[in-house]
Amino acid sequence: MRNIEFWASLLLAIVAAFIIAIWVPGQADQKVVHAIEYAGLVITFLFGFMILAAIASGKIDISRILEEKGSDGGGASMSRFQLLIFTFVVAISLLLIVVNSHDFPKEIPAGVLTLLGISATTYAVSKGIQTGAEDGNGSPAPPPAGGVTHTTVVAPPAGGSSVTHTTGVNPPANAV
Amino acid sequence: MLTVTLLAKWEGIILIGGFVCAVVWKLATGEISLGYLLYGDARAYRGASQQTFFSSGRAQMLLSTVMVAGYYLLQVIQDPTHFPDVPNELVVALGGSHAIYLAGKAQSLYLGRIRDLVSLLNRRQQ
Repeated sequence: MRNIEFWASLLLAIVAAFIIAIWVPGQADQKVVHAIEYAGLVITFLFGFMILAAIASGKIDISRILEEKGSDGGGASMSRFQLLIFTFVVAISLLLIVVNSHDFPKEIPAGVLTLLGISATTYAVSKGIQTGAEDGNGSPAPPPAGGVTHTTVVAPPAGGSSVTHTTGVNPPANAV
Repeated sequence: MLTVTLLAKWEGIILIGGFVCAVVWKLATGEISLGYLLYGDARAYRGASQQTFFSSGRAQMLLSTVMVAGYYLLQVIQDPTHFPDVPNELVVALGGSHAIYLAGKAQSLYLGRIRDLVSLLNRRQQ
């Protein structure tokens, strides 16, 4: 009830369906098929355009899309970069083919699938190596930046005796 | 009247082109950083927990990726009626390049750089 955009869209869809049913000429079954085709295209486009607009305006942040997890200073990841390149190349190729032949390709050649498979496998294995190294199998993960503040308040001891308080750091800060 | 195929064609061009343009624009303006793309992390034996070094494995993978992707895109542009066949030699070259990158990454993260390993072994032998 609170989402006014949803109810406005629903009302608009019902009005459009009535207009198509009453005023658009043609067979009823054909009109239903065309209405579903156009509705699917419009919904897909609006959905994609919403995401595209959010990316362009910065609402969806993709600035760290190539960043390697756990690297010092947030360096770019080569495995992510090559996956991005291959994904774009195959997507652009598919678009060009569909636009020129007005048909979806009958079969996807094994070569294209192999290229994408090599690319995605490299990304997955690279991520596994990086995560495994951070989990203690290789070099340890860098300690978090900043310091630790520890405050202890004790009551003054009776009879003039002293209070001993020892704090240890485990593991040592300079451990290798 | 706008046909369904024409509408789908322009929809695909706008969306895929838009996504590619958005990412390329952010790469060009530096919003998506490519800093340290050719630098890898290695296990360090003294002092810091990790060290950063120029990785030749990353450089050769970048070259092979750009070459294979460019070759494929040019093939499609020349004959945009079907997916072109990829020569087996090209697939093997790309797979080998990626394998070298992964082996180098595993070695540097788990064992450290080769020169550090050699100097460590030399110190232990002395």
